[in-house]
Amino acid sequence: MKKTQRTAGTDASWKNPVPGQVRVYVWEWPVRFSHWVMVITIISLSITGYYMHAPYVVARGRTAYVMGTMRFIHLVSGFAFMAAILIRMYWFLFANRWSRWNQYIPTTRKRLANLVAVGKYYAFMAWSPVRYIGHNPMAGAAYAVVYAMALVEILTGLVLFSQIVGSRVLLFLVGWIPRFIDIQWIREIHFFIMFGFWMFFIHHIYTAILVSVEEENGLMDSIFSGYKFVPKAELLRDPAVEEMRPDGEAAPVTSDLEQEKHTVA
Amino acid sequence: MNALPEIELRSALEARGISRRQFVKFCSTMVATLALPPRYLHAVVKALDQTTRPVLVWLEFQDCAGNSESMLRSGYPSVGDFVLELLSWEYHELIMAGAGKRAEETLERVMRDHKGEYIAVIEGSIPMAEDGVHCTIGGKTALDIATRVCSNAAINIAVGACAWDGGIVRASPNPTGAVGLAEAVPGIKNLVNLGGCPHNPANTAAVLVHYLTFHDLPALDQYHRPLFAYGDIIHDQCERRAHYDAGRYVEEWGDEGHRKGWCLYKMGCKGPEATYNCPTVRWNEGTSWPVKAGHGCIACASPRFWDTKSPFYDRLPKVPGFGVDVLAEEIGWGGTAAVGIAMLAQVAGNIVRDKTRAKNVRAEENPPPDLNAGGSA
Ligand code: SF4
Ligand code: SF4
Repeated sequence: MKKTQRTAGTDASWKNPVPGQVRVYVWEWPVRFSHWVMVITIISLSITGYYMHAPYVVARGRTAYVMGTMRFIHLVSGFAFMAAILIRMYWFLFANRWSRWNQYIPTTRKRLANLVAVGKYYAFMAWSPVRYIGHNPMAGAAYAVVYAMALVEILTGLVLFSQIVGSRVLLFLVGWIPRFIDIQWIREIHFFIMFGFWMFFIHHIYTAILVSVEEENGLMDSIFSGYKFVPKAELLRDPAVEEMRPDGEAAPVTSDLEQEKHTVA
Repeated sequence: MNALPEIELRSALEARGISRRQFVKFCSTMVATLALPPRYLHAVVKALDQTTRPVLVWLEFQDCAGNSESMLRSGYPSVGDFVLELLSWEYHELIMAGAGKRAEETLERVMRDHKGEYIAVIEGSIPMAEDGVHCTIGGKTALDIATRVCSNAAINIAVGACAWDGGIVRASPNPTGAVGLAEAVPGIKNLVNLGGCPHNPANTAAVLVHYLTFHDLPALDQYHRPLFAYGDIIHDQCERRAHYDAGRYVEEWGDEGHRKGWCLYKMGCKGPEATYNCPTVRWNEGTSWPVKAGHGCIACASPRFWDTKSPFYDRLPKVPGFGVDVLAEEIGWGGTAAVGIAMLAQVAGNIVRDKTRAKNVRAEENPPPDLNAGGSA
């Protein structure tokens, strides 16, 4: 494992890029905020949700309130999760080019081709990864699936919640769903997708480590600070921009406004 | 037009040995079951006193007669006793004296003389496959009879799961193509569904009392079920609920928790997904109900419960396509483990790739990162 580049040079620190490198503000605050809310709530939702499926804690004492507490945490986490997803959904429309909706759903031929290239890398059919400042097409597509799962989870969760609160508004919105899918299957789907999140969780941590090792761009730090360190040439020919131009014309990829946000060494 | 001699309700009840006091008690039970404020008791007593005993016909199709049994075999004086006296039961195969042609004539007479006035109670599902030949009475199919009787009735009451949505007869694979009354006779008017396996006679009596008092049906839900009976979740009315919230569960039949009356959630109790007033109205004149007696609820009053709520002793349905005994849980854990193993394999593969890359890729193919812009693998 090689050392990451930004620690090279004498005055380099995590805020100061080395010569030839640009400090790029990739993940804006709504992205990071919703990311961490999702991380925390998925963990607490899984722990409490699994308990609600198969109570694994032995309750002790006369005043025990284990299931009640688990349900409470589950509901609170559920609403926090929902809020995070909604914030992120909103931001899909207004984010910078690395976290816009088109980074998740490949819409151009070029991005699809790169999706295949990334797949080849994971299948050990290529020596080096395709370098991206934001998400590579494969990662983006994977997140799209995760957001789809999250939406199904929210919807099924609301159906189950509507059954216990009996709120007219909620029943109006989702009360018709159990007429078509029985409530037991709603539960099954809600439970099953939890494992989908677990699978993604393992994969996500693995790829995050892998890519930050392979690309040496401070990927791990970026989800805390928002900044990545990339070679200047990479920022000037960003695949995220190239892929969105079907004519393939090499266009300037940074606006003046954007330039101000990035620290160039 | 009523060919029968008018029998006064009070003397009819007295003839059965039911006192005035018991009658008023019955009325107050009905008021409570209907979730009406107590001040309605007077109205109910008055209305029932003055009732002209409307005609009732009870049809049985593909069924086990369990709903009739439930109506007739309760304590004394039972709900059934009152209902038998409140209404003039002209046709009910299980209890009527006449048989064969005589019986069929009675039904025809009711339809002729009391058109649009009689109450029709339907028990059992209606087969639709092969033109309905799977259930015929006196040479007529259940579908024919139901269509004729129900379209001329003042109100139609489908009692039990089978009459409501097909019940066990309709459970997969449903060889007779059975359906409930509403599906068999589309556009049926004034329908009340009283699901449950069997129906709770207290609810059926309450619907009848409501009709006799207010000449109208009680408030219904999207499935035409009265809200007073099907509006609340079993789980929210269950006496074991405190154990559920505390986290004390029966783990095995007959274990310590079972003897102590803990929650049956882990034994597959479907109380959390079932709606019914079973825990409050109870059975056998309010003696007990299944969960109180120690068995989990199987959601008998929920739509298509034989298919949707089974397995009755597990929390969640079996996943189709994975054999009979595989739970969603096992698939989930298996998948998660598979992903974990795949990631470990990736780690190993990447270490090998990193070690061998320098040897295999010539310098110009593996340029330093800043020249590698644009992405090529
Ligand atoms: S026994 Fe069933 S209905 Fe009663 S609290 Fe437990 S899960 Fe709910
Ligand atoms: S406990 Fe549940 S399954 Fe049993 S009779 Fe009551 S509602 Fe039906």
